[in-house]
Amino acid sequence: MTTSPAPARRPSLPDRVRREVYLTRVSWAMQDYPSKAFTGIKRELRAEMTAAAAEVGMRQAITDLGHPRVLAEGYTAELGRRLPRYATGAAAAVLAVGALVYLAGAYATGTLDAIEAMGGGTVTTHPLGAVTTFTHTATELSVQTSMSWQGALMHGATAAVAFVLGSRLWRLLG
Amino acid sequence: MARDPQLLKGVLPMLVLRTLAHQESYGYELVTRLQAAGLEDIAAGTVYPILSRLEREGLITSRLVPSTSGPARKYYLLTTAGDEHLGHAVAGWHTLSATVAQVLERPPTAAPAAAAPPTDTTRDQP
Repeated sequence: MTTSPAPARRPSLPDRVRREVYLTRVSWAMQDYPSKAFTGIKRELRAEMTAAAAEVGMRQAITDLGHPRVLAEGYTAELGRRLPRYATGAAAAVLAVGALVYLAGAYATGTLDAIEAMGGGTVTTHPLGAVTTFTHTATELSVQTSMSWQGALMHGATAAVAFVLGSRLWRLLG
Repeated sequence: MARDPQLLKGVLPMLVLRTLAHQESYGYELVTRLQAAGLEDIAAGTVYPILSRLEREGLITSRLVPSTSGPARKYYLLTTAGDEHLGHAVAGWHTLSATVAQVLERPPTAAPAAAAPPTDTTRDQP
């Protein structure tokens, strides 16, 4: 007669939720870690947490791992090199482009106010090669513009510079 | 007396290799073995990143072993390179600890200077 091994005990739903919440917090703290390597680490952590939970319970297994950020810092430190901060770079790029859009909006508002102060009318300008028409009359308040390659280049370059500086991209060089 | 974690940090990879050289273990078991050996304050979160690096550097390898009380467990064991590395690390540790002991046991040549009260040199002498 042959005997098959007893089926592995699966953690309860609350324990699985606790485990996944913890792993999500670790993932958030390690979002700049090389993704392929992190996939392996996350898989191993999940297996280790499940194995430890079978012996001491999921709460204790999570307590033993410590704070997710500290654990993430441990993995990053053991990598032996400094990593670019891609998420920070992306945030910096969005903020920089947002600042440009805000400035353009402020410029448009100021121009419309000036047209109103002069008695109303229409003004056409060519900022960065884009034909832009400001209209402020008794019946119409509008700004019409188009995208030029110079404007696209300026926004792209601003985003790129902000991303490089924010992410410390030079860390890729060693 | 509380142990300085910075002191332990430098030797922990060597202790992990030595523990695995004695017997292969899965992560949590390794932690409990280190705790049983006297490192009561060691945490799983400290050991797992070290295991990850040692495996990446080829000093340890792993194999999955089915378990009846949970998922398949990843057992770590020393590689030949890990065994050689351990030998160098142990030799380096003995050299360092001997040097440290020699420095610590050297008798002080003079008593440490006590903090003297400040002297007011601007006051007129009688």
